Amino acid sequence: MTEPYDCAQVADLLAEVATGAATGPDRDRVATHLVYCDPCSHELDELSRAADELLLTAPEHEPPAHFESTVLERIATSEGAPARRPRRGSLLLAAAAAVVVAALSSGAVWWATASERELAASYSETLDVADGRYFAAAPLIGADDSQVGHVFLYDGSPSWLFVVLDPAPGPGPYEIVVTIDGADQGAGRCVVTGTGCAAGGTVAGAIGDVDSVRLIGRDGGQMRADLDS
Amino acid sequence: MAVSDEALLAGVAAGDTDATAAFVRRYQRRVYGLALSVVGDPGLAEDVAQDAFVRAWRHSGSYDPRRGRASTWLLTITRNAAIDVLRMRRDLPTEPAALVDVLVARVDQADRVADRERVRAALAALPRDNAVALVLSVYFGLTAREVSDRQGIPLGTAKSRIRSGLRQLRRMLEVTND
Repeated sequence: MTEPYDCAQVADLLAEVATGAATGPDRDRVATHLVYCDPCSHELDELSRAADELLLTAPEHEPPAHFESTVLERIATSEGAPARRPRRGSLLLAAAAAVVVAALSSGAVWWATASERELAASYSETLDVADGRYFAAAPLIGADDSQVGHVFLYDGSPSWLFVVLDPAPGPGPYEIVVTIDGADQGAGRCVVTGTGCAAGGTVAGAIGDVDSVRLIGRDGGQMRADLDS
Repeated sequence: MAVSDEALLAGVAAGDTDATAAFVRRYQRRVYGLALSVVGDPGLAEDVAQDAFVRAWRHSGSYDPRRGRASTWLLTITRNAAIDVLRMRRDLPTEPAALVDVLVARVDQADRVADRERVRAALAALPRDNAVALVLSVYFGLTAREVSDRQGIPLGTAKSRIRSGLRQLRRMLEVTND
């Protein structure tokens, strides 16, 4: 568990979080601080906007002639891909969970956007490690019924969950609430500082008994992953 | 009258194939250009740019115009996709100082886009060292420690250049927005 940082310590890290380059631990420290500090949260929003605008300076280049048709074809053949994924036991998402955890432990930054090819490549290794039985996963669904992330759960000692929210409906903290057999329990907080966030926590109870995982924003808005079959 | 970026993106989210084609057509030069700037290889850049559009399509329903313009939203997705690729390589394919020169270079009047020109001028006005450190961080996703190692400068100096450069950029963009 990282110690909370004060404003002066966070100020030194805000720029790197804004540019998207901060390490996972640094991002966590800033996110933890921002839950309680609106001024730093505002500062990060402004710095992030400036950093994103810097990308506008990239020179334009004409792509290959077939580019547009190839993109449209890829989208057309992906029809339905953004729809809900299998609710339980998705092996690809299980692999994603392992990749997420491994990436976080090594301080990698861009785990949330790792391509599915990479996830698939990690799939067999993940099953070897976890014997293919210990993960559960479900899509996180937003208020407009679109998928806004994933929830990964591991049944072990302790059991834990990991939430990936991207894109988030807005910046700020989202409380993670797990419902097991009708009873709610907190499982941490996911704090959006850019386009999304990720957070994990332990779960008191068997993963097989989890009904749902919800992320609740400051305005009461909720996103939900249902795990009951 | 041209359809706004945000309206096009709403059409993409609604599954309108014409809007999707128009969106790709409008942004393909910028998305491919950014991908090429980061990964440095035309073939890889094409893969990255295609992947960026597919990601944007997937997430178009969650785009919130209150959080930023469609152009920066799309380019951020592109940058992230490019860095995913870049992290598998040992070194940067582009010399950062040379990239800064390209980014701050004036373009032909006919190719000028107002938002890019505004940011280009702000970047050009930054102290050179700060601009290079900032580009390393924003375009290539390098941490201050990685910037320090690459530039052969103390970690504190790298942090200071990134922080100062970003704050200076923000101030200049605020002025031009007023």
